[in-house]
Amino acid sequence: MARALLRWASFTSLETSSRLPFVQLPWTLNPRATTLAFSSSNDAAAAASASNYIHLSDEQLMAQCDMDTFKASGPGGQHRNKRESAVRLSHRPTGIVAQAVEERSQHKNRAMALTRLRTLLALKVRKPIDLDGYTPPSELLQILPAKSTIRGKDVGPQIGPNNPKFALGMQALLDLIFSVEGSVSETAKILGLSTGALSRLILSDDSLRVTVNELRTSKGMRPLR
Amino acid sequence: MTLRFAFPVCSPLAPFLASSLHRRLSIPSRSSSSFSPTPLFSSDHRPPLFLRPPAFAASRTDLHDFRRWAESLALAAGPRLSASDGGPDAALLRRELAWLVEDATVAAASESGVGEELRLRVELEELYRLWKARIEERRPFQYIVGCEHWRDLVLVVKEGVLIPRPETEMVVDLVAEVEGFEKGLWADLGTGSGAIAVGIGRMLQEGGRVFATDLSPVALEVARLNVERYELKDKIELRWGSWFEPLRDVEGKLMGLVSNPPYIPSSHIPGLQAEVGQHEPKLALDGGEAGMDHLLHLCEGSASALKSGGFFAFETNGDEQSEFLADLMSIKLGNFFHNIKMISDFAGIQRFVTGFRR
Repeated sequence: MARALLRWASFTSLETSSRLPFVQLPWTLNPRATTLAFSSSNDAAAAASASNYIHLSDEQLMAQCDMDTFKASGPGGQHRNKRESAVRLSHRPTGIVAQAVEERSQHKNRAMALTRLRTLLALKVRKPIDLDGYTPPSELLQILPAKSTIRGKDVGPQIGPNNPKFALGMQALLDLIFSVEGSVSETAKILGLSTGALSRLILSDDSLRVTVNELRTSKGMRPLR
Repeated sequence: MTLRFAFPVCSPLAPFLASSLHRRLSIPSRSSSSFSPTPLFSSDHRPPLFLRPPAFAASRTDLHDFRRWAESLALAAGPRLSASDGGPDAALLRRELAWLVEDATVAAASESGVGEELRLRVELEELYRLWKARIEERRPFQYIVGCEHWRDLVLVVKEGVLIPRPETEMVVDLVAEVEGFEKGLWADLGTGSGAIAVGIGRMLQEGGRVFATDLSPVALEVARLNVERYELKDKIELRWGSWFEPLRDVEGKLMGLVSNPPYIPSSHIPGLQAEVGQHEPKLALDGGEAGMDHLLHLCEGSASALKSGGFFAFETNGDEQSEFLADLMSIKLGNFFHNIKMISDFAGIQRFVTGFRR
């Protein structure tokens, strides 16, 4: 899924960004929203609901979105051969925008945009973690390699980046990495992994790698490669 | 209560012919521009590309060469086509090319295929011819592959039937919001490929039924294919004729009426992008001088076709037409209808008029 996102990102920048100026990755669209964190205690409720965005059903998530098609001149409808099948979803609570153009029906583009929105929410919406007494949630355990010492036998096989559930684990992993300020070795210790094994996990997904490296660079650390 | 304008006695001719008496007397099918310039039953009896058997082979290199050639054609033509009449730009043409290859090759061949051979559903030379026709003749992509993806459906289309538009997908959602729609009698007037009827038909339960009418025999033939492909023969009944004409037996019994009738003002037809103006059936596009000949007929006829509490949703050319019709329905025809709304499509154009029979 995250791979599809990056494919889409490079696709839009190559092919349509000159014609459609708003086709940009959301974090370049709105620099203030690089990471949406909820820090003050007053925002605790917001943080709780924020972390749940990607746990919402498709219908619930759609209800938080404005949907439109690419703005175009002219009357559309019968006048046009296939104009409006591209879809843009704007997630009102976060301002995150997800789009899809490459599917063959509007219906499918909407589903694809929603999938992308889930990935973007996982990448961009942070929930602060209290490291004292932290136990990794099961969706995080599921994306860890089997050699993790904290991963019980009952967790099941490792979920990879192509599985739709990967976004849930990725979100929890990023919450943890952000709460230790980008330290891979500290994160690895908490997750019962070697630093190398965690690095490989982070590098296995392009969007995850980019997000972690953006954080590390901002903290003056070397990016992972 | 009877309305003078409901179920007029002019069909089975196209209603727009009825306005001029002398033309009414001629044979409808060839007397005017009402049908596509392509012969009704052209040489292309073949099923859509994606349903044909993979009876041909090509090497990966050959297919790669085709892609490169087709892509260069797209990149060269895109800017010109989009500038001349709002036709496809290079980005859309490249997407179409990917879809063409997707339909012409056996699924997942790129990953699972062993060796150099790829299985194709058409000869490689035919692929070249098809893409050339796409670019040079502006033949719509959907006619080339013989299908259009619409909602979660893959609908068969061909010359002579309107290619269902993305905007129209929403009509099915509007119907799904009507309380108790699953068990009611519905009519899709001017069904074309059967898109809306199939979309509704799939949601119906015991007792629910869609009557799908069309004046064009080609459209009915294509609609029949789509109804059969989705195994909806027991839910959708296709009927030949103009608008309400074939529905006299269910007059006053319908829970809902939906239609995407021709609504383009006649004067706009010559300026349409070539894919539409030169290839799609005028019968499905031309709405008369103001574009509202058929919409007016539908609005007026709804009063006697719908049962009390019945719902209607009509697609229009957008803002002005919707406003005019909403006005008409809520003021002049306010004795018959209520709760009239205009609904925007996802581009923000007021595309649909909906309401209920009192």
